[in-house]
Amino acid sequence: MKLTWKWLLEHLETEAGIDQVVETLPKLGLEVASVIDIAKDLREFVSVEVLEVNKHPNADKLNVCIVFDGNKHFKVVCGAHNVKVGMIGVFAYVGTFIPGLNFTLKSGNIRGEQSDGMLCSEKELTISDKHEGIIELPKSTKNGLSVVDVLELNDPIIEIEITPNRGDCLGVRGIARDLAASGIGTLKELKIKEIEGDFESLINWKIDLNKDENFLCPKIFGRSFTDLTNKASPSWMQKRLLAVDQRPISSLVDITNYIMIDLGRPLHAYDIKKIEGKNLTVKKSKKGDKFNALNGKIYDLNNEMLVISDSHGIDDLAGIMGGERTSVNLNTTEIFLEAAIFSPSSIAQTGRALNINSDARYRFERGLDYNSPELVMHYAALMIQKICGGKVSKIVSLQNKNENKKIIFNPEIILKLSGVIIENNKSLKILEKLGFNVLVDNNNWNIIVPSWRSDIDGVADIVEEIIRVNGYSSIPTIMLSRKNYIAKPAMNSKHRQSFFATRILATRGYNEVITFSFLNKVMAHQFNGGQNSLSLVNPISSELTDMRPSILPNLIQAAQKNINKGIDNISLCETGPVFKGDSPNEQLNSISGIRIGNKYIRDWKKTSEKFDFYDIKSDVLETLYSIGSPSNSLKIFTDAPNYFHPGRSATFKIGINIIANFGEIHPEITEFYGLKSSVFGFEIFPDKIPIPKNNKTARPMLKTASLQAVTREFAFIVDNLLESEKVIQAAKSADKKLITDIMIYDIYEGKNIPEGKKSIAIKVTIQPNLESLTDKDLEQISSNIIKVIKTKLSGTLREV
Amino acid sequence: MFSGFKSTMTNQIKEKLIKLSEEIADLISCSSDLTNLDEIRVSSFGKKGSVTAYLKNLKDYDEDTKKEIGSLVNQVKSNINNLIETKKVSFRQDLLNNRINSEKIDVTLSSKERDLGTLHPLSRTIEELSAIFADMGFSIVEGPDIETDYYNFTALNIPKEHPARQEHDTFYLEPDKEGNRKVLRTHTSPVQIRTMEKLNLKEFDEIRYIIPGRTYRSDHDATHSPMFHQCEGLVLGKNINMGHLKGCLIEFCRSYFNVENLPVRFRPSYFPFTEPSAEVDIGCKKEKDGSLSIGEGEDWLEILGSGMIHPKVLEGVGINSNIYQGFAFGMGLERLTMLKYGIPDLRPFYDSDLRWLKHYGFLPIDNPSLHSGLNGVFS
Repeated sequence: MKLTWKWLLEHLETEAGIDQVVETLPKLGLEVASVIDIAKDLREFVSVEVLEVNKHPNADKLNVCIVFDGNKHFKVVCGAHNVKVGMIGVFAYVGTFIPGLNFTLKSGNIRGEQSDGMLCSEKELTISDKHEGIIELPKSTKNGLSVVDVLELNDPIIEIEITPNRGDCLGVRGIARDLAASGIGTLKELKIKEIEGDFESLINWKIDLNKDENFLCPKIFGRSFTDLTNKASPSWMQKRLLAVDQRPISSLVDITNYIMIDLGRPLHAYDIKKIEGKNLTVKKSKKGDKFNALNGKIYDLNNEMLVISDSHGIDDLAGIMGGERTSVNLNTTEIFLEAAIFSPSSIAQTGRALNINSDARYRFERGLDYNSPELVMHYAALMIQKICGGKVSKIVSLQNKNENKKIIFNPEIILKLSGVIIENNKSLKILEKLGFNVLVDNNNWNIIVPSWRSDIDGVADIVEEIIRVNGYSSIPTIMLSRKNYIAKPAMNSKHRQSFFATRILATRGYNEVITFSFLNKVMAHQFNGGQNSLSLVNPISSELTDMRPSILPNLIQAAQKNINKGIDNISLCETGPVFKGDSPNEQLNSISGIRIGNKYIRDWKKTSEKFDFYDIKSDVLETLYSIGSPSNSLKIFTDAPNYFHPGRSATFKIGINIIANFGEIHPEITEFYGLKSSVFGFEIFPDKIPIPKNNKTARPMLKTASLQAVTREFAFIVDNLLESEKVIQAAKSADKKLITDIMIYDIYEGKNIPEGKKSIAIKVTIQPNLESLTDKDLEQISSNIIKVIKTKLSGTLREV
Repeated sequence: MFSGFKSTMTNQIKEKLIKLSEEIADLISCSSDLTNLDEIRVSSFGKKGSVTAYLKNLKDYDEDTKKEIGSLVNQVKSNINNLIETKKVSFRQDLLNNRINSEKIDVTLSSKERDLGTLHPLSRTIEELSAIFADMGFSIVEGPDIETDYYNFTALNIPKEHPARQEHDTFYLEPDKEGNRKVLRTHTSPVQIRTMEKLNLKEFDEIRYIIPGRTYRSDHDATHSPMFHQCEGLVLGKNINMGHLKGCLIEFCRSYFNVENLPVRFRPSYFPFTEPSAEVDIGCKKEKDGSLSIGEGEDWLEILGSGMIHPKVLEGVGINSNIYQGFAFGMGLERLTMLKYGIPDLRPFYDSDLRWLKHYGFLPIDNPSLHSGLNGVFS
């Protein structure tokens, strides 16, 4: 909402200057977006008379002029085509800052001729975009006057951001009222003369709505004007309209726009001669109806849109935009003026469906003063008669009864809700100035809400009105008490899992990223997503259409972007949601990561080594252990989802729940992203990790073995497809008490090993607990291991 | 025997011994290494050693001579042993020096590259917020990103066709069979509703929650991202008023930006789910180089929205607004992060550019907390 300083003063009687007003507005909740005062930069520009115009001796298009500011003569080189002897121009002295050119004028020599100043165009003064020719002031202008005074530029423009609840402040008067309530001045009385009208209106209203739809148009007013002269509006009006971004068109149109800004009350004028029949009917459109709007576009209407129609058809989209057919132009001599109240939600629906954003729609949607239609009939009549002459008819109207809202208010609630101590008298005064009517009965205030405040409907609203005008700075600062709690963490175990996991991964070299929760359809399908219930109806681009089923595609894409920037070795991780369906329990938390490229870079010390499956497996296990996954219940399976390489991927499960998928990403997907090297990735689902229920902080007693452990090494020849884990499990079963650790230290296939077989070398740690083991005991354990590998896995001890 | 002869003979033996001792001393000083030194020791004091021979011969002499020569032999032995020990120390020193000299390396050669990864600035901010609010007794709750119209709008007093809805630029999911379409939450406020719905009204006295999370609006330009992060706050009790809102948020702003005298301003504003509502600004100053510094200055920066929970919202979840009242607030986390850490541009937050992550990211071991600090000083 834009207004000018002088416009505001039409409604506000105040001693305060603009600075004080601009400071007060945000304190009332009216945020000031900008204040533009072009006059600030233009005070030094003065009117001068052009006394001589001589051709520049060295340049065809330039003239050398002598100008006079009433005091001194100046020689100026000027290139404007319209410069002529006797004209009054706008002159900049040497040393003046020219805002339109963004420099300070110096005296100069232009092609051999001295130039001590400049004759200016409107663009150079930033008054308009006009740059063809210099400004020509009226002949009567005296020399040496500031252009600010001559052109009346001394009217700063204030732009205010109005919150959606304050429809009443979408007019200058509403803003003035709030300012007056704050004590900065008084609200002037609105100049209204009730004009009864000389004749019956040429046009009448009809409402063609079902009874239960009366709320769509609870009130509509109109009156006719005849014998009008519609020419360009007066320049004071044009200037103000231009200042608030309204394009001047003709007196009649400009008056309706002026009143809309002035009172926040949109109006519509029909050219009576173009209306067919004697009635205008408010009704709902039908599917298939077309509407030819003022903006030159044709709209297809549906069944639910509120329109106004004559006997020919629809020619007004109620509260949003008028029609082309009955529009006012410079030849118009008779108009019918409409002021109505329409249902804000109906207007919003229609406006959104047709994508029309008009000033009228904006105001209707935010709620108009219910009493404004009758008031504006008189207000407009006065202005139209003054500017366009002619005659005014009586008012025609249809309306439902509407009583102002009443709120029962106990003033003690002010302190209870806001903490502000304020005297009742002060509260009452604030309410009164805002237009509320209060009947005081001890602590029972009967408050009648003014017709322009449709946003007020409860005690909390009343409290806000009072403390807002009283000033938020008088709200006390109270610290939240500590009595209610003992020191406790903000995070619960679930939050801690993400927190720890990201840290473990980052210490292992991963860089945490945050990527969008949506991705494109192809990627969604690749990772088993893309179902209808997770597709966006209105995606921002075709790249961001589906909720992600996995974080991995995002990470792969992120890696690809880095590779394109010349980075080869990449470890990225992210913790965030993945979506299996659209209900809350189908949103899972996932901790994911990928690695590409080299684990070690070749340097003077060592050769390079690429990331492999086992790096990822170790990342996953380390992360799982640090976020509370019990190591003894983790089971490994080879049925990872199909976006992994089937031979190089695995899954950890606890019971039937998948805790993690990991391994090499399927080469088909890697190739799809144009990646040349293998991508290793994982996804952990921490929600599936059981959280131990007991809250004990004490740990079980530490038991350390006092006897020294013994190790024995074996190499077995087994089937080359046998999973090594089986060898470990089998060997372990030889003596579950004494064997505490088994490590595979070599895998070999090839020379000296039969076809289809491999050699697995293990180191077994045997930990005696009660007494030292004899050689005989150890031999017994060794032969048990050999035996069990033979019987369970048909493995044989490798002859060395 | 004449005593004169005896003394002559004794003297001769003495001279020989001294000569021998001098010879051995020469040998020691010319010895080449520890092995050679050991040979000298053996050839002198071994079973067949040259000095040992004198001790063996002692038995042939009378007591006085025995005594005299014996003492001299012991003296020689001790002297030579000292010389050998000294020489040994010097050899060991030489050996060590040689080893040290031979072990010299080029310390300017590069060491292993730093292999610590980094944490994203946004998750850092969430943790800083959590630490500050934990100190004020808040705990974290979360809610789903995919919401129903009810939780995202209606329950928050934003009915259909309300102008505030249009400011939300909502993403919609494909409608289900009944024609209901879910939305991507446009703010974290629906979690307020979900949280309050779960309260046991008989037991609770006061709650303090923060709700960080992803939020979505269909807007994409230099200062808007279709996905962004918010943190919501919710305090509900029997004696909570707007003064508490003010106290809580002033403390938060000053702690987060680490500026003790940071000016914090509360302005009336409008949110459908709070009444009265307040926008919160902090003081700032535009520096000559165009950058912004947070603190006392002539400008204000809007950083969060807040207000007393609207009675309609409370009643909607079955809470008696005559007994309970509270406040809520919401802030954009990207903006907070950018302001605190001088990050000029929004878009790279989601671009996963390793150069950006390493530059603006944080050390994984730097855990924001009240005792270790909240401002990431070493990163």
